Amino acid sequence: MMDFSLTKEQQELISSVKNMASKEITPFALQAGETEKKKMLKSLARMNLLCPTVPKEFGGLGLGLVSSALVVEELAAASPGLAAIVAATLHAAEPIILAGNDQQKNEFLPLLTGREAGAAAFALTEPEGGSDLNIISTYATAEQTGYLLNGCKDYVINAGIARFITVVAATDMLNKKASLRIFLIPGHAAGLKTEEIYQTSGINLAPVGRVKFVDVGIRDQYVIKSREAGSGYLLLTQTFDVGRALVSALAVGIARAALEHALHFAENRLQSGIPIKKHQAVAFTLADMATKIEMARLMTWKACWLIDQGEDYSVASAMAKLVSSTVAQQVTCAAADILGARGYLQGNLIEQLVRDARVLSTIEGTNHIQRLVISSQL
Amino acid sequence: MSFRDIGIKIQAAREEKGFSQEQLARLVGCSQSALSNYEKGKRRLYLSQLEKIAEILDKPLEYFVASLSSQHHSQPVADRNQRFVTIVNHLSRLTDEEINEVMEYIDYLEWRRSGGHK
Repeated sequence: MMDFSLTKEQQELISSVKNMASKEITPFALQAGETEKKKMLKSLARMNLLCPTVPKEFGGLGLGLVSSALVVEELAAASPGLAAIVAATLHAAEPIILAGNDQQKNEFLPLLTGREAGAAAFALTEPEGGSDLNIISTYATAEQTGYLLNGCKDYVINAGIARFITVVAATDMLNKKASLRIFLIPGHAAGLKTEEIYQTSGINLAPVGRVKFVDVGIRDQYVIKSREAGSGYLLLTQTFDVGRALVSALAVGIARAALEHALHFAENRLQSGIPIKKHQAVAFTLADMATKIEMARLMTWKACWLIDQGEDYSVASAMAKLVSSTVAQQVTCAAADILGARGYLQGNLIEQLVRDARVLSTIEGTNHIQRLVISSQL
Repeated sequence: MSFRDIGIKIQAAREEKGFSQEQLARLVGCSQSALSNYEKGKRRLYLSQLEKIAEILDKPLEYFVASLSSQHHSQPVADRNQRFVTIVNHLSRLTDEEINEVMEYIDYLEWRRSGGHK
């Protein structure tokens, strides 16, 4: 059986998110400062969209990955930075939803739901080692009733605003991969410090920064699967596979916004007395853009569908992320070509989207890493 | 440690238990070809699947993910981590020249461990 149709609930969900975004996000997205950002986050909280995968019993919408990807695409089409805040929050919550115990779910998931919802962060990358698990240097020393965490995480999305940070650290410096654990650190924990928030080229609404941990005491109940040595690595790879599908949805949203803007321009910009959309050179470019976006969207949906079905989704999510991020970069650049000099001006939507799309081949594992993930399973 | 390493250990534990791939696959609830791919490291295992396999094969989860090299370390983890902290503290007090000497000695140790082939 094969079915590409969306359910009535999914169609209503898209419609409500689109409606809210057109009034409360899109008009302010390009020039948004801190005040506008707070208002946008409140709009998301009002609709319970900061982490839509949180199960209903913990205050969330309980959406599956396909529906969550639809939300992320709509938000990315309105504001890629805002969508990045949501995608990072979804990533941070995923290990808790997958393997957290009741106490962890009760304590952390409600922080991401309802009108007072906040964002969360996922911290793996380090200043020196990137995301290489073999040279991870953040480590947690076992104490009598928990752990003591020391180290530094870099390029953390939602740094400084996260209600909690999901941190990956080694507990044995000579056997790093196998000793990985996933720790849940409250945003106000003693010893946790946001050292710097970077000025990024794109996704500007999302704060990206460096976070330091100095003797952060973590109680045993804040460690996912604390008694199961060896669980961290598998949970981490699984979480990444989910995160890649969400980044893929984010990429589709960015590409779609670029296509819609370029199409509107091409329908109204006259050359030789006719809209440039009527010129084959532009028409073919638009056709290629639309086709690539459809390909990326279908691959994203397939990966998310496999996740929802509990099937093996590792290759599908890596392929979706590889394709969608590449498509977003190609489509935004093609849109800039159609707009000509206008698309190169600061403050122009396409100029912003080109910069937003640039990060997609880097985050959630570079595209070279995606190729490694795919080829290792061929 | 890689998914291939985990697969090798699944195969070893399965054979130790006397199960065929078909038998273990049936107990786990996956196809024989999926299990074969897990053992070859050609398909990623998720935590819940490995937990199930570990339970059926009577092994702790750690058995499957522990690096082979970790078998060479006899010190308790906490002691080793504490020694690393001590070493880093010593290093922070050295001059650049002394750090270079330490690096040369580390290179020598790695060369010696590799049997002089590096």
